[in-house]
Amino acid sequence: MNNAAAIETTRPTRTPEFEKRLKKRYARERSFKLMGQGAILFSVAVLVFLLGNMLYNGIGGFQRAELEVPIDFPESGLTGDEVSLSAPSAVQVLEMQGMAEVVHFYAEEALSSEGAEQISDQAWRDVAAALTADPSLIESAEPVIFHLPASSDLASGLAGEGSPEMQALAADLKAKGKLAENWDWGFLSRSDATSPQAVGIWGALKGSIFTMLVTLALAFPVGMLAALYLEEYAPKNRWTDLIEVSINNLAAVPSIIFGLLGLAVFLWIFPNLRSAPLIGGMTLALMTMPVIVISGRNAIKTVPPSIRDGALAVGASPVQVVFHHVLPLALPGMLTGTIIGMARALGETAPLLLIGMRAFVATPPADLTSPTTVLPVQIFLWSDEIDRGFVERTSAAIVVLLLFLLVMNSVAIYLRNKFEKTW
Amino acid sequence: MTRIHDSIKDDASAKMKARDVSVYYGSKKAIDEVSIDISPDYVTAFIGPSGCGKSTYLRCFNRMNDTIPVARVTGSIELEGENILDDTMDVVQLRARVGMVFQKPNPFPKSIYENIAYGPKIHGLAEKKADLDAIVEKSLTRAGLWDEVKDRLDDSGTALSGGQQQRLCIARAIAVDPEVILMDEPASALDPIATAKIEELIDELSGRYAIVIVTHSMQQAARVSQRTAFFHLGKMVEYGPTSDIFTNPIEERTKDYITGRYG
Repeated sequence: MNNAAAIETTRPTRTPEFEKRLKKRYARERSFKLMGQGAILFSVAVLVFLLGNMLYNGIGGFQRAELEVPIDFPESGLTGDEVSLSAPSAVQVLEMQGMAEVVHFYAEEALSSEGAEQISDQAWRDVAAALTADPSLIESAEPVIFHLPASSDLASGLAGEGSPEMQALAADLKAKGKLAENWDWGFLSRSDATSPQAVGIWGALKGSIFTMLVTLALAFPVGMLAALYLEEYAPKNRWTDLIEVSINNLAAVPSIIFGLLGLAVFLWIFPNLRSAPLIGGMTLALMTMPVIVISGRNAIKTVPPSIRDGALAVGASPVQVVFHHVLPLALPGMLTGTIIGMARALGETAPLLLIGMRAFVATPPADLTSPTTVLPVQIFLWSDEIDRGFVERTSAAIVVLLLFLLVMNSVAIYLRNKFEKTW
Repeated sequence: MTRIHDSIKDDASAKMKARDVSVYYGSKKAIDEVSIDISPDYVTAFIGPSGCGKSTYLRCFNRMNDTIPVARVTGSIELEGENILDDTMDVVQLRARVGMVFQKPNPFPKSIYENIAYGPKIHGLAEKKADLDAIVEKSLTRAGLWDEVKDRLDDSGTALSGGQQQRLCIARAIAVDPEVILMDEPASALDPIATAKIEELIDELSGRYAIVIVTHSMQQAARVSQRTAFFHLGKMVEYGPTSDIFTNPIEERTKDYITGRYG
């Protein structure tokens, strides 16, 4: 009995050394877990700081300093009725009637001449736009109150920056209730302008949407078919190995190279489409396609061969196997790759600069061939501006870009979950 | 060469006749000139130790070896007088006539109904929904699964138990009414009760379909088959009526295998 007990204590897993080693192993596991948690915590903190900072600054970008100007239309001498104000030429007619002077007159009346000078010369266009949108205003018995954008000088005065005179004027007007920071929903519907008070993001947003649509329409089907062909049909030989290596290399090529390619090839073929979403989308599609091909091939590889065998064994042709069985099962994985590729394309600036999408474009693109810019390029351009007012606008544009990204990814994730099946 | 028992004669009822079939994987010969007849009159079992080539040989009968790029098949396999190894053979049609059930149940990740209806649909065997419904019911009934799943045909096929999944795969194979059903160790992934059900099913299906079953369980071969072929190292060592093979083997290697000396 004693002998047996002695044998037990000499077994290698019962010695004190073993216990010590065991403790060390646990300690190592704990420290690894801590390091992992630390890494997660760090990335979450960075993300929260980034988003918080953007949102904090961006909120100011969605507001602008506006001056309150009441206009008494029946008294102003401007004429017009429902028909003439709805005509396409209404704005020109109003301009010829001296609308700019009328607005300036009422501004002086409400704000004194120093205040009126701080209304932009183009402010009458806002009034004209309101009139054409609602012609009945011209007969309004009460004076109609307009909130017109202040000059950027006055805006920085309101923010406590700029010259002392301007700060004093801003304080004075603010005390009278004539000057205030108002929510500027027009930021979402206007396009680029020279003054931070008049800029909007819609032109760049629409440009981004158009560009992404072109990218998706080209990169997704081409990438998917390439992945399917390479996985399901292509013979495994030196040529397909070469193609595989090329695709992998293509995915690692710096994006600006694709811009050079777009410049050299696409703009050579379509010289009139400089700055167009079509060319931008084509360039970004080249960049996105390898990512979709690689992730698509990986997704196809995860489809169990037994499913293919089962389908072949009931007499499905190879095409039927692919489209009835492999593709539905691989689609969620392919969509994941597409999300990653599209998100990267959305944030891409460098290649688009090269194909002329950095131009100043004050109108939103009408179609895929009209010149435009895109969100990241717009952010890049605004961040380069000297005027202080652009700082907040830049943050606001970043918030819009992030929201766009969020919407795009949510749609893709929704689609992925919808197609996801278990086997 | 193969020792064929005297009681085996050239068979008029043979559905498929394989003659001198060899399979090469690259330069390696995996099957060496094996000939056999397959008929709906009896169930044929292929037995032998792992790696002896019995599954490879089975996969020649519906040309599933086509999916392996390096595999090459020589010889001839006639299905009703037509050599299926010819390049002119329509593989899609062949696989509709020669069904297959795999070792691991592999239902499609679709509903039970879709699993059965898939074959008839792609071959255009049913014009109306009612016809398709009838095929689904008939196939599931023949596979002995109808009573268990008739209330949940829209559930995923992968949600069934392993044994039910395998019977679903058998139902899927018989939905296109094939002439031959190849079974590649159909019960090796199942528990004894599910295995018993599959074996019972094979018994019932025999006669309507020519059935070939690959198995590494000798008891199973003894229970379900009437003819047995013993494979070893890519050769068919011995072929004869199942009872003779098990009680009175001619070859020493067969005797060693069935008595459990190796395998």
